[in-house]
Amino acid sequence: MDVLVPPIPDDYDEYRATLKAFIADHKPVLAWKQRTGLRGPDQAGDIALLRGYVRDLYEAGYRLDRFSTERSDPYEQRILEQELGAAGVAHVLGNPLVAGALKHFGTDEQRATYYPPMARGDHIWTQLFSEPDAGSDLTSLQTRATLVGDEYVVVGQKVWSTWAQWADYGYLLARTEPVDGAGGITALILDMHSEGVDVRPLREMTGTTDFNEVFFDDVRIPAANVIGTPGEGWRVAGASLAEERTGVGSAGGGVDAAARLIRLARRSQRFGRPAIEDGAVRQQIGDLAARARIQRHLGQRIATKAVKGQITPADAPIAKIWFSELNLETTEAALALLGARSMAVEGDELAEEDGRWQDAFLYARAWTIAGGSNEIMRNLIAERGLGLPREPRGQPQSQS
Amino acid sequence: MDFGFSEDQELLRATTRRFLAEHQSLAQVRRSIEQPDVFDAGLWRLGAALGWTAMLIPPELEGGCVTEQPLVDLVVLGEELGRVLNPGPFVPCNVVAGALARFGTEAQAREHLPRLASGEATAAWCLSGDGSPEPGAVEVRAGPEDDGWRLDGVARYVQVAANASLLLVVGKSPEGDVRNFLVPRPTAGLAERTVSGLDVTRRFAEVRFDGVTVPAANLLSGGQAAADLCLSLATVLQSAESVGAAGLLFDETVDYAKSRVQFGRTIGSFQAIKHRFADLLIELEAMRAAAYYAALALGDGLEDAAAAVATAGAYVDDTFAHICGEALQLHGGIGFTWEHDAHLFTRRAKANQVLYGDGAWHRERLVRLSEMGLGD
Repeated sequence: MDVLVPPIPDDYDEYRATLKAFIADHKPVLAWKQRTGLRGPDQAGDIALLRGYVRDLYEAGYRLDRFSTERSDPYEQRILEQELGAAGVAHVLGNPLVAGALKHFGTDEQRATYYPPMARGDHIWTQLFSEPDAGSDLTSLQTRATLVGDEYVVVGQKVWSTWAQWADYGYLLARTEPVDGAGGITALILDMHSEGVDVRPLREMTGTTDFNEVFFDDVRIPAANVIGTPGEGWRVAGASLAEERTGVGSAGGGVDAAARLIRLARRSQRFGRPAIEDGAVRQQIGDLAARARIQRHLGQRIATKAVKGQITPADAPIAKIWFSELNLETTEAALALLGARSMAVEGDELAEEDGRWQDAFLYARAWTIAGGSNEIMRNLIAERGLGLPREPRGQPQSQS
Repeated sequence: MDFGFSEDQELLRATTRRFLAEHQSLAQVRRSIEQPDVFDAGLWRLGAALGWTAMLIPPELEGGCVTEQPLVDLVVLGEELGRVLNPGPFVPCNVVAGALARFGTEAQAREHLPRLASGEATAAWCLSGDGSPEPGAVEVRAGPEDDGWRLDGVARYVQVAANASLLLVVGKSPEGDVRNFLVPRPTAGLAERTVSGLDVTRRFAEVRFDGVTVPAANLLSGGQAAADLCLSLATVLQSAESVGAAGLLFDETVDYAKSRVQFGRTIGSFQAIKHRFADLLIELEAMRAAAYYAALALGDGLEDAAAAVATAGAYVDDTFAHICGEALQLHGGIGFTWEHDAHLFTRRAKANQVLYGDGAWHRERLVRLSEMGLGD
């Protein structure tokens, strides 16, 4: 039993040093304030700078394997992920969920067409999955794509699309087949610049605009843009969502958050003393710290199971629930430690760390709801993980 | 990365499970609970032959482990013994063996370890007056006398097996330092009273020391460090037992929910029930992750071993108790009967929650480690 990943050999020091210098030279200065979570820039100027940064990296040979059919040196890939992550600037633009779909269900031609510009920052992607009336019950989606000649004509509406206002392509789930439920759904590649696509940024509870609504009015998509086969879209989406959930679970930061809470408790007061001297505070931090460490070990178990081919349908949902609920509780604990000062937010001189905890608290609900709400995750664990009976479906409600 | 068990360890698991099914199943354990002593020395020796107490003992002293990670081997055993609520002194024997192997003199090791390995001898660990690992709770005073020590005081909630031939006693020197003593039995001045216990599957005692004298050669080296190792080993091994017990009860409860019909449906088809099962599986997986990592980190001497053990101590047993409570509730009336096993698991869990440092104690420890920069 071990949790060791092979250490990166010393002869990669030069690669890392060169990469760090390159990032330092090319990293753009953005108007966009970086916040916790998967957030969207709100200014076109930043998008141009980010595209330029990703292109510079690509041209210099710094390319991520997840947007490629080739496998490069694994040590270089690890260094690349580490250093690009540490740079504090987005290096993956939009939501590249489609990469996993193309990997498992795409044609060679589709991969050859879409991977390189995705990797180069030329194509920003978004996902077009949820609808106002199809959230948790995604298979009831109503956006329709009707085959006319060799084109699909799309009519409908999507919501919760990441970076859609900046996106060049969309990974669309639409109903093409004349059947209800999962069997009627097809996954399609949509050129977001097509006639009839209307993107409206959606302001969320955080006050920021990280998602969009997207409307389709007779939008035309070539039939060749189907990923997989018509009617196979639910399986395509399931494969890519499972990857996303595992990603959410490993989105880390947990142990670091516990250390932050201790620093916060040293500076905050309780009953006329530093909060860190209060027994109830210490118990709460101890509990969160233990669960933050366990988050890492759950990830290590899942990674091991993945290598051994022992992944169960419960694993990714377990990681997702664990991470998202711990994250929420950690931010709630931070606000409680701040006391009345927790009311002061970003921009106010009284705000702690310019309001990062308040923003993180509000954004925490994105993790508990997105990527399959935690209630859906619990259904998956119970039904597919434990073999308990499936939820009965109600009668379809007619749309007015 | 391979955060799982090896083929040899899985073989150990299968062998142990078969042995227990035949010789000491849960049904057999249940039959013993209303007798004065739940311990069966003959069965213990058979178990010892399968390595139950040998893992932390070097081969030249009749010990031996399955892999190069004896503590992980012990986790496999602990899980299997936990599944059937084994009444034997698995935790104290291995705690004492581990402490002797690490801090004992050659003579001490030679005298005691082969007998512990063979199961001929069993050991008990006398930690403190109130069962907690707080240094202030140690109530055995150790005074130097002639060529040895004189022990006076009391240790409580000591897991015992009838005729445990060796006690490892935590005492406090006149200077207030922790000292660990090997006290063979019988020894004059030693009195033991069995506590009527909530956990009916094991026996715990109040052990009184009234002028017990031991020679200087019976002092274990290491002082506080030795006591710390004992506590870490106890936390990890008890966590393994709790993981095994919680896993079995959980599986049994899932099966029950799939077969119990009310309102014309199996109760497992109700979402209110399904979501509780989902939460329990999350808890069970988290218990496993915490316990396995603690064993790995402590056994391999990883930098974060102390935090890893505190994490297991903070989470595992409290969660075991929660799973037992939920399992009992999900069984409904049948779970409330003496006949059903749910209360035996609940009783075991309530004991594990408070032995070797309760969850609050380990959470406090984790915060202290974090304050020292050792939490990560």
